[in-house]
Amino acid sequence: MVTKVTRSSVEPNDIPAIQTSNLTKLFGSLVAVDGINLEIKKGELFAFLGPNGAGKTTTISMLSCLLKPTSGTATIMGYDINKEPYKIKQIIGVSPQETTLSEHLNSMENLALVGYLHSIEPNKLKAWSKLMLETMGLTDRAKDQVRKLSGGMKRRLSIAMALIHNPQIIFLDEPTLGLDPQARRAVWDYISRLKGDKTILLTTHYMEEADILADRIGIIDEGRIAALGTSLELKADTIETHTMVVYAWNLTQKVIMELRNRYEKIEISNGTMTLSDKKLDFKDIIDRLHAAGTVVRSAYIKEPTLEDAFLKITGKELRT
Amino acid sequence: MRFWQLFTRSLKETYRDPLALGFLLAFPLMFMLLFGAAFGGDTAPSFTIGIIDNDQTEVSQGFVTDVLGEEIETIETTNFDDTDTALEELKLGNISAYIVLPDGFGGQVLQIRQGEEGNIALNITFDESDLFVSEQVISIINAATREFARIEIPITINANPINIETDISQIDFIAPGIIIFGLLIMIPTSGRIMLRDKENRFLNRMLTTPTKPWEFIAGYSLSMVVLAIAQILIFILLGWLFGMDIVGSILLAFLIFLLTAICSIGIGMVVASLSKSENQGESLSWLFSMPLAILSGVWFSSEFMPSYMRTFADLFPFSHAVEASRAVITRGVGMEAISGDFFFLVGWAAGIFIIGTILFSRTMRS
Ligand SMILES: Nc1ncnc2c1ncn2[C@@H]1O[C@H](COP(=O)(O)OP(=O)(O)O)[C@@H](O)[C@H]1O
Ligand SMILES: [Mg+2]
Repeated sequence: MVTKVTRSSVEPNDIPAIQTSNLTKLFGSLVAVDGINLEIKKGELFAFLGPNGAGKTTTISMLSCLLKPTSGTATIMGYDINKEPYKIKQIIGVSPQETTLSEHLNSMENLALVGYLHSIEPNKLKAWSKLMLETMGLTDRAKDQVRKLSGGMKRRLSIAMALIHNPQIIFLDEPTLGLDPQARRAVWDYISRLKGDKTILLTTHYMEEADILADRIGIIDEGRIAALGTSLELKADTIETHTMVVYAWNLTQKVIMELRNRYEKIEISNGTMTLSDKKLDFKDIIDRLHAAGTVVRSAYIKEPTLEDAFLKITGKELRT
Repeated sequence: MRFWQLFTRSLKETYRDPLALGFLLAFPLMFMLLFGAAFGGDTAPSFTIGIIDNDQTEVSQGFVTDVLGEEIETIETTNFDDTDTALEELKLGNISAYIVLPDGFGGQVLQIRQGEEGNIALNITFDESDLFVSEQVISIINAATREFARIEIPITINANPINIETDISQIDFIAPGIIIFGLLIMIPTSGRIMLRDKENRFLNRMLTTPTKPWEFIAGYSLSMVVLAIAQILIFILLGWLFGMDIVGSILLAFLIFLLTAICSIGIGMVVASLSKSENQGESLSWLFSMPLAILSGVWFSSEFMPSYMRTFADLFPFSHAVEASRAVITRGVGMEAISGDFFFLVGWAAGIFIIGTILFSRTMRS
């Protein structure tokens, strides 16, 4: 029994893969997701970046038809989450935030279960499972009950289970949570390979992950999208101030006062001077320091990072 | 065939978890063993039965001394001259019943043994309220007499040709109740896998696949049905080892037990659908399984309970199952005699699964 997903052919090809309109979820009086409006194009890799409790998982749960929105709605490939959940479930693959596996089955059986629930033909499933286990580095342990696998292995299998049926739309909720750097790289590589082919919505609270993988990033905080754009756009738009870091000996009070008059903000600690302003004149600063007899050991202009952007937008540090 | 995949998966989760499997099978077995040891075989108490032999032939005397007196270990006999004194003793509780062998008893037996038509009437009087004893006495005498005359006799409640065995013990009466109890306590255990999936969120993962509510329910319960069949077979085997004698159709008894198990599993599905965790689900179901077991008469006959309690118990399948299985096992009745209870079980099983599926689909997306 193979269920083919058919959509009317007259549908324009440019409908967004995912579109939300005022998507809202309340838990009692707690507003977990607060009227999110979002459009994700087909083939786009979109990252939700936000601290714990921002509402990322809740949003994904609504999009994957596990939670009913309190108000608002969303469409996945044109199907409404409130009206056609089973249509949606046929085309999505979800990797939940928690690693959840059937503990007494082996890796192969776990993959097969999800595959069969998606009505994939046994032959295809077998081939795909083998490939997937190889990709995730699980081939050696394919026949072991998964409760005996290490945390990292389980995590990789859990991600594999979201992909085994070759879904068009993929939700990855904190895919690399708890993975060591090496395994994280491997998962990133794999996700990059899917880019363009699949529509992927990924949540993370790792800056680097969003920065490296995402076509676009939505910074989400307290249930709202606080900023939206490519990594570059986010940095450029939010970081108007530039920062220069100078490491020097013999800093005098006089030269500090002089610079303070010219630049907005100056901080000194342990011989490191950090200057920031909308405009910084590198040469002017160095010249003035030299003139005052200061020995400049090093000096550089600091590029804004996504982290800076995030801090600026949410007023929060994003630490793991 | 998604439900089939879910079924095999649940089955694997069960049998690859020896501790859980052990618990699932061992717990009810323990009850059976306890009761078997307490009531089965040698230690069965003996009943004293009064005999009024109006026939006084060699045959009737042989029947009394050899069959009732010797062959059946659970019976002791005392002779009475008339029914009045016997009745007196019965009222005093000194005897459990008395039997009147009518004039011509021996003649009839001989006639039947030679293949001719015959009609044996045994008149058994017993205390109706002493249900436990009356079930015993009737089935014992019934079987013994039929073996003696090699026919069916009028005191047979149902005229099914049956396998006659003489060492009938109390286990016949007790066993059906204990088996039903063993199946009733599948209520707390049958939701186990679903609740564990809920707790560790594996169910959430499966809920992102296009699997329908009925497929989940079918998958989860089928694995329990397999377990139930294994349990019933073990129960029957153990009962047999302890000397239980299934007078009626073993298949019919099996079907009654299976339906009972399916009802329990259905209740388990309802509870699991409504609960959030294994603990919550199990506590909830123990809380009503135990009272329900008592009210349904699995331990002691429910005859003496106030009628409102019995009415309440009769809303559930277990009292019906106890009645029907006892009738089949101790009295050898057929389908006609228990069809009411039987179809009540069928209807109940269907109903509870419909409710379970509806509740599951309501709670799966909050
Ligand atoms: N089932 C629930 N019941 C009550 N509150 C919840 C529930 N799920 C999430 N929340 C709350 O909603 C907010 C958003 O949570 P979540 O979506 O998990 O955030 P994130 O995934 O971004 O860490 C948090 O404050 C969380 O405590
Ligand atoms: Mg989360």
